[in-house]
Amino acid sequence: MKLKLCTLLAILGLASGATPAADIEGIARACNSCHGTGGVSVGLSMPSIAGLSESYLKNIMMEWKSGTRASANMTRLIKGYTDEEIAGVAAYYAKQPWKAQPQSAPADLLVKAKEATERCETCHGATGGQPDDADTPMLAGQWSRYLELELVKYRDEGFQMTHKKMIKNARKLEEGDVATAAKFYGAQSK
Amino acid sequence: MSKINRRDFIKIAAAASSVAALSFPSIARAGAKAKVVVIGGGYGGATAAKYVKMLDGNIDVTLIEPNPIYISCPLSNEVVVGHRDIGTLSIGYDGLKTRGVKILHDYVTGVDRARKVVNTQGGKTLPYDALVMSPGVEFRYVGIEGYNESMINDIPHAWKAGPQTLLLKKQLEAMPDGGKFVIVVPKGPFRCPPGPYERASLVANYFKHHGKTKSKVIILDANDSHSKKGLFNQAWAKMYGWEKEGLGTNGMIEWVKGAEGGAVTKLDAKTKTVSSDFIDVKADVLNIIPPHKAGKIAADTGLTGKEGNNFEQGWCKVEPMTMASALDPNVYVVGDACVAGEMALYGNPNAAFDMPKSAHIGMAQAKVAAAAIVAKVNGLPPPDPIYANTCFSIVGDNYGFSVAHLYRVQGGTFKYIKEGSGVSPMAMPDKSPVPDIYRKLEAEYADGWLRNVMADAFV
Ligand SMILES: Cc1cc2nc3c(=O)[nH]c(=O)nc-3n(C[C@H](O)[C@H](O)[C@H](O)COP(=O)(O)OP(=O)(O)OC[C@H]3O[C@@H](n4cnc5c(N)ncnc54)[C@H](O)[C@@H]3O)c2cc1C
Ligand code: HEC
Ligand code: HEC
Repeated sequence: MKLKLCTLLAILGLASGATPAADIEGIARACNSCHGTGGVSVGLSMPSIAGLSESYLKNIMMEWKSGTRASANMTRLIKGYTDEEIAGVAAYYAKQPWKAQPQSAPADLLVKAKEATERCETCHGATGGQPDDADTPMLAGQWSRYLELELVKYRDEGFQMTHKKMIKNARKLEEGDVATAAKFYGAQSK
Repeated sequence: MSKINRRDFIKIAAAASSVAALSFPSIARAGAKAKVVVIGGGYGGATAAKYVKMLDGNIDVTLIEPNPIYISCPLSNEVVVGHRDIGTLSIGYDGLKTRGVKILHDYVTGVDRARKVVNTQGGKTLPYDALVMSPGVEFRYVGIEGYNESMINDIPHAWKAGPQTLLLKKQLEAMPDGGKFVIVVPKGPFRCPPGPYERASLVANYFKHHGKTKSKVIILDANDSHSKKGLFNQAWAKMYGWEKEGLGTNGMIEWVKGAEGGAVTKLDAKTKTVSSDFIDVKADVLNIIPPHKAGKIAADTGLTGKEGNNFEQGWCKVEPMTMASALDPNVYVVGDACVAGEMALYGNPNAAFDMPKSAHIGMAQAKVAAAAIVAKVNGLPPPDPIYANTCFSIVGDNYGFSVAHLYRVQGGTFKYIKEGSGVSPMAMPDKSPVPDIYRKLEAEYADGWLRNVMADAFV
């Protein structure tokens, strides 16, 4: 029963003791408006963030906050949160279950994509579902429209991204393969 | 969370904590199921109902809304110009039902705050421990001589999405090239501060795509400035030949501010001519957005008032920590009906810091209210609130931008957090133009945002 009390206290962001710690759950509820309830997006251009690795989530938000990484939206709003709050929401969303949303794609596209994404396998795994380290995000079952827009960002020299190897790899894709690769990963269930 | 046994919980909380006194007296006494009633199934009300239920499944939640289908105003300007089907903006209440929220399709005619009961048109009486009020806005058909509510089937406002939106679309489509599409903007606060200018942009975009390039969009604005003005002007210059403020310019969009004749005071409905002290404009399509006040039931319930600045215009003042009405701790007012912080009036030097009337902030308020209610039901103090907003505007093909607002509560008052707020950039830090990709991304994100807010509120 004690556990239950703790659960409610935590959900309401009250489990802080003497110092009023940031209400992490309350902050996460605010993120839900754009990223979906519990961080599971239903908007094709918006990423699901539930179940991504804690270090990826934290790192990307801290890069936005410090200004080293560009974003059309996130840079502006994330600056309003303290480092502790960012670490807190990163930990929170990392604990939520990842929900793959496999989107259908034509069989010939999937075949073609296999070839186009060969060089991506070492880091993302064959389906984008086996990231090789905690700083590599899940691609399998992420929204393909979102993934395509991300690839466009990595490929655009005017858009400041940070991960050199990923930038290089994205720019090696043939123009016509960008959407193909995105659809391929979006179609995977794991 | 759903597994929490409230009764055990209350016992522990009551025994272990001195904050038990914060609970609603009737619940703490009887250990009965707490009752939350929500008035209005728009973005604010639906979100409040859902999040109360999600946070504590043992609370009995009833949402009262007359319409079986809700139609989203956000992105309804895209419907006007044929970029979006209104079906994508329509949603029912089955998602909330599945979550265990009771849905009553009825209209609230009165609230007896002393007895804590809600009365409906259908003759139902519902008791509540906490009431959430999210009735949105009511229009005030005043201030323009010759204009009244009976005219909206000829002179649509399209400021509540649905048939009005489709009517404006039809009128736009029927307008001949060389015509004038006139938007009359009321004095703020009105819902969706960038909305009229987004509409103007998309109508100009429609003219471009439909070979009606001799047509004009004229905005007659009762205010002297508007939301995201720099960004709109920049976009209009890029896409629609915008030159400068005032009537008679060469661009497709003309904007007349209040001080220079934009504040319309007279209508000749027969000729669709609107006038102010300085100018007369004859419209081919006339879109008058009337001034607003809080939804009728808020005033009928005595939650709006005359005391102080924030009350004068018929809005509900709230407690920053909880969104409870300043006049009744058991009634929480969220969404367009409340005024949080200063009045959002352009011309007010603090205007940029006021909470706008948007779906996004209405949902943020609803989540704060839900958490405060669940805490109170369980004898706990309210958690620290956070209020975040983003309003996207789509202004052309692959061209969007946004404004973000963040508020916290400090020292018992709303505090605008500059660091987590602001508009999309006008230029890069080195003064170079913003690359097109930024505008394209935000146009894309607007659609993703819409689908997520609809689901986060109604599913
Ligand atoms: C053209 C336009 C574009 C917009 N674009 C955006 C945007 O891009 N982003 C954004 O965040 N916001 C936008 N908005 C603003 C947004 O629509 C509102 O801020 C939002 O709908 C407010 O939610 P609400 O719950 O307060 O009110 P509403 O959504 O209006 O809902 C109120 C509900 O209460 C019900 N009701 C009223 N009285 C009673 C009663 N007595 N009993 C029972 N039910 C009752 C009504 O039927 C209604 O369903 C836009 C608005 C317009 C007009
Ligand atoms: C106004 C909408 C909006 C809100 C609110 C919002 N985000 Fe985002 N977020 C976006 C968009 C758009 C993207 C994708 C593009 C980008 O990188 O900017 C994104 C991307 C992200 C990503 C990267 C996901 C990935 O797979 O790389 C993370 C992490 C994230 N957001 C976390 C958060 C957190 C935490 C919050 C709450 C504090 C939040 N967001 C609130 C719009 C929003
Ligand atoms: C060297 C390892 C590596 C290789 C090879 C690689 N990636 Fe990545 N990828 C990453 C990392 C790490 C990230 C996160 C980088 C960051 O923080 O910006 C990433 C991010 C992404 C994202 C954004 C996901 C999100 O949620 O925002 C996409 C899409 C992507 N990769 C696709 C690809 C494709 C397609 C290829 C092959 C053409 C590829 N990657 C090759 C390591 C790699």
